[in-house]
Amino acid sequence: MKSDVKASIMITCLGDLFFPEVGVAMVTVLRRLGVAVDFPGGQTCCGMPLYNSGYHDEAARVAERTVRLFEAAEHVVVPSGSCAWMVKTEYPGLLMNDPALKAAAESLAARTRELSQFIVEVLGVTRVESDFSGSVTYHDSCHLLRGLGESRAPRTLLRNIAGVELVELPGADECCGFGGSFSVRLPEVSTAILDKKLGNVEGTGAGCLAACDAGCLMQMGGGLSRRASRVRPLHLAQILAGGRP
Amino acid sequence: MSELLRTPFPERAGAALKDAFLQQALTIATTKFIDMRRAAFEGFPQGDALRDRARGIKEATLQRLDHYLGQLADNVERLGGHVHWAGGAEEAREIVLRLCRDRGVKMAVKSKSMATEEIDLNEALEAAGVTPIETDLGEYIIQLAHEKPSHIIAPAIHKTKGQVAELFSRALDGDFAADPEVLTAVARKVLRQKFLQADMGITGANFAVADTGTLVLVTNEGNGRMVTSLPRIHVAVMGMEKVIPSMTDLMVFLAILARSATGQKLSSYTTLVRGPRRLGELEGPEELHLILMDNGRVRQVAGPLREALYCLRCGACLNVCPVYRQIGGHAYGYTYPGPIGILLTAMLKGDRSVKELAHASSLCGACKDVCPVRIDIPRMLVELREGLDRGRIAPWSERMVFRAARRGMQSPALFRLGARLGRVLQRPFLRAGRLRRLPLFFGKWTATRDLPPVAARTFSERWRELEKP
Amino acid sequence: MTTRAEFLGRVRAEMAKTDGLFPAAPSPRPGNPREAAETVRRQLAERWPQALDRFRVEFERVAGVFHRVPSLVELPALLARVAAEKGAREVVGWEARAMGWNLSAALTPYGLTVHPAPAGDGDEDRRRHREDAARAPLGVTGVDWALAETGTLILASGPGRPRSTSLLPDTHVAVFGPAHLVESLEQVGLLLEALHADGGEAIRGGMINFITGPSRTADIELTLTRGVHGPKEVHAVFVDALDGPA
Repeated sequence: MKSDVKASIMITCLGDLFFPEVGVAMVTVLRRLGVAVDFPGGQTCCGMPLYNSGYHDEAARVAERTVRLFEAAEHVVVPSGSCAWMVKTEYPGLLMNDPALKAAAESLAARTRELSQFIVEVLGVTRVESDFSGSVTYHDSCHLLRGLGESRAPRTLLRNIAGVELVELPGADECCGFGGSFSVRLPEVSTAILDKKLGNVEGTGAGCLAACDAGCLMQMGGGLSRRASRVRPLHLAQILAGGRP
Repeated sequence: MSELLRTPFPERAGAALKDAFLQQALTIATTKFIDMRRAAFEGFPQGDALRDRARGIKEATLQRLDHYLGQLADNVERLGGHVHWAGGAEEAREIVLRLCRDRGVKMAVKSKSMATEEIDLNEALEAAGVTPIETDLGEYIIQLAHEKPSHIIAPAIHKTKGQVAELFSRALDGDFAADPEVLTAVARKVLRQKFLQADMGITGANFAVADTGTLVLVTNEGNGRMVTSLPRIHVAVMGMEKVIPSMTDLMVFLAILARSATGQKLSSYTTLVRGPRRLGELEGPEELHLILMDNGRVRQVAGPLREALYCLRCGACLNVCPVYRQIGGHAYGYTYPGPIGILLTAMLKGDRSVKELAHASSLCGACKDVCPVRIDIPRMLVELREGLDRGRIAPWSERMVFRAARRGMQSPALFRLGARLGRVLQRPFLRAGRLRRLPLFFGKWTATRDLPPVAARTFSERWRELEKP
Repeated sequence: MTTRAEFLGRVRAEMAKTDGLFPAAPSPRPGNPREAAETVRRQLAERWPQALDRFRVEFERVAGVFHRVPSLVELPALLARVAAEKGAREVVGWEARAMGWNLSAALTPYGLTVHPAPAGDGDEDRRRHREDAARAPLGVTGVDWALAETGTLILASGPGRPRSTSLLPDTHVAVFGPAHLVESLEQVGLLLEALHADGGEAIRGGMINFITGPSRTADIELTLTRGVHGPKEVHAVFVDALDGPA
C-alpha cells in the first residue's frame, strides 16, 4: 500500500527506556500501512511527570524543547495516550506566556495523535493485517479514554484482526492505579487498585491484556509478572505488528 | 478526628486497606451508586445538556454573586425570616448558640447538613448544654458511634447491620435484630418523639433561590420535612455559594442532582421553605434563621479553586474515585472526603492541610467525567500540587528529585547517561529478565510489582538500524 | 458579628479581581410568566390523558399505589377500602375548602373517625392536630400539582392544609384530578415563576413539598427500607371529574 503520509515517532521516555520493542512494532505497522517514518533524535520526555507533580516551570521548559524538536514533523505519532494528551491539551497552556511558543505548541497539538487514533483518523484504516492470534482483553487508559475521548479505535483495530477474539474487560474504564508518581507515593493504594484491575483481567480468561499506554503496561505488567500470571501484557502496536511478539 | 490526623495519610490509607469489611462495603456501595447513576443518565438524553446549563448557571451566579446574595437576603426577610452573615466557623457556631440561649432551646433535631459538620456544630451545642439529635438515619448511626460521616450522602456506609444493631441496642437499652427493616422501624419510633419534642430544627440547604427567598432541601427520609415543620425555630446553615438565581434555574439542578447522587429522578422529598409559618397556617416554625457562611469560600471567588464552588455535594465523584473506593472517607481525615473533598479541605483549611491529600489521586479523571457541573477536579489537584511546590511545602528531597529529573529531560546527553547508569546499577538485581527487589525509593514499587529492566538498547539506540525500511 | 455590608463588601472585593472562568448566563426567564403559565395550562388541559398515563407509570415506579375513580361519588368507597386494608379507624385530612370536597362527609358513614384540619391556627388546635396526625394511620390530602415526568405529588401548605397530614401518618393518600396534571419539571418551574411573580402571595403557606414516593433510606448496608420518618406508603387517587385547584 502506498501513501504519501510522513509520520514522526514520539517514543516517550518509558517507551525509549523500557519498551523499545513497542517502538519497533510501531515502525513495522506504520510502514506496512505505507507511512514514511522518521524519528527526530534527542528525545527525552514529554514532561508530564513534572507537570502532574506541580513542577510547572520545569514542565514548561521541557515542553518548549519538545515543541522545537517536532517543529518540522508533518504528523507526530505517540504510542501512549498520556503523552499524546499532555502534548495536545496541556502544552499550549504551559507555554501561554510566550505567544510564538504558544502558537508552536498549538500547531504541534494539532499534528499529534496517539497511535490508534492516527491509524483510524489520519490513515482511514480500520483493518490492519496481522498474524497475531489469541484472545485479547483491552484496558482503557485514563488519558486516552477520558483525556482524548478515545475508546473505539483500539477496539476496532483489535476486533478486525482475523485471529483475535476480543473479550470485553469488566471495569475496562477503571484506572489501573499507575498515575505516575502516585504509584510510588502511595504504593499500597496503587497496588490495591491494581489488584482489583488484575482480578478483572484474569476473570476474562483472555490470554493477552492489551493497552495503549506504557505507564499502564508497566503497572499491570508488573503486577501480572509478580503473580506469575499466564496473561501476557502487550501494547496494541505489538499485536498489530504480529510476528510472535 | 484530630487524633486521626496525627498519623500520616499513607498509614491511615494502609489501615483502611486492611479493613476487610470496609473493603467489601465500599465495593458494594460504590458499585451500586455507579450503576444507578449510569442507568439514570442512560435513560435521560437531555442530561448532558442540562449539566452544561447547570455549570453555566453556577458560573453566572458567581459573576453576580453580591447581587444574588443581596436579593436572597431581601426576599428571605420579606417572607419573615432572619438572615445572619458568618465569616467563619466560629462565628456561625456562635450565631446558633446565641439563638439557643436567647430562645431557651434545650434540644435541637438536625437534618443532614455537611455545612454543620464542617463547623463542628454538634460539639459546640453539647458544650453549651443543648442536645443535638441527628435524624438522618446514617447520621444518627454515626452520632451514636461518635464518628464522622464517611461518605457525603451515605454517612454510615462503613458500618455493618450487625454494628448498627449493636449500637442501637446499647444506646436505647434494647435488643434489636441485625435487620435493616427492624432497625429503620426503631429509628422511626425513637426519632419521631424527638421531632415532636424539639425546640429547634437545624438544616443545611441544597439551594437558595435568590428571586423568591426560597430554601431548598433535597432528602429521602422525611426528616427534612419534620425538622422544618414541627419545632418552633428553624435554623438553616448554608455555604454562601449555594445561592442560585431563579425557580427556572432550580429545575435544572433538580433534574440532575438526585440522578447524580443515587440514580433517582427526584429524591423522595424536595422541600421548598418559604419563610416561617404564615398567618393562618397551622404548622411551621415561628422563626426562620438563615446563616450565610463564608468559611473560606469567598476567597475562592477569585482563587484557583473557584470551580469547586459549583459543587452540589452529590457524592458522584467519591463513588467513581479509585482511591476513595479503596480507602473510604475516614482515611481522608476531614469533613469532606473523596476528590472534591481534597479541594474543599484546601478551601476551608488552607493549602497546607492537603500537603499529602493533594497526591491522593492518580489523576484518572473519572471524577470530572461524572460531576453534574463538570468541575475539573484533576486540574485543580495539579494546581494545588504546584502551589505546594511553590510554597516550598513539599519535602526538600522530593523537590531535588524532580529538579534532577527536569535536567535529564532537558538534555539528551544526560538522558542517555541516565539510561547507561540504570543498566549498570540494575545488573545485580535482575532475576530472569525482571527486577523484583530494588533498594531505597525504588523498593516502593518492587514491594508489590515487578519492574521491567532498562532495555539493553533503547529505541533511540536501535533507530540507526531501523531507519532504512 | 459580620454585617451584611461587610460580607458583601468582601464578596465584591473578590469579584473585582476576576472576570470569571467563561462567559455564562443563568436560565432565560419567562418575560410574562403569568401568560406563559396560562398557555401551559391550556395545553395541559388538552393533553391530560397522556400525562396521566405517564404519571401512573412513574408513580408506580417509585412504589406509589395508583387508583382511579370516575367521580367524587365513587371516591368515599375507595378511601374506605384503603382505610380498611390499613386497619385504620382514624383518618386525618385537609379541610374541605382546600380539597374541594368534604372528607368527613365522605368517610363518617363508613364508621371512620375523621379529623379534618382545624379551622383556627392557635396552639391548642396545633397540638390537637399533631396528636391526631401522629395517631391516625391514614392522611388524606389534595395536591397542587401531579408531575408526570417523575411521578411526583406537589403540595403547598397553608390554611386548612397542614404539613403533618401528608407527613406523620403511615399512609398518605392524595386525591387529584385532570387540572392538577403537569408534564415536566420545566413546566413546574414556569408555574412557580408565575406564582411568585406577584411576590408569591398566591401561595398562602410557608412550604411546598415535592413528594416522589414513600419515605426511604438505604443508609444501612445500602439496603432499601421504606417509612423512615415519613409515610411508608403513598397512594394517588385520580378522580376524572374532579374540578381544578381550590
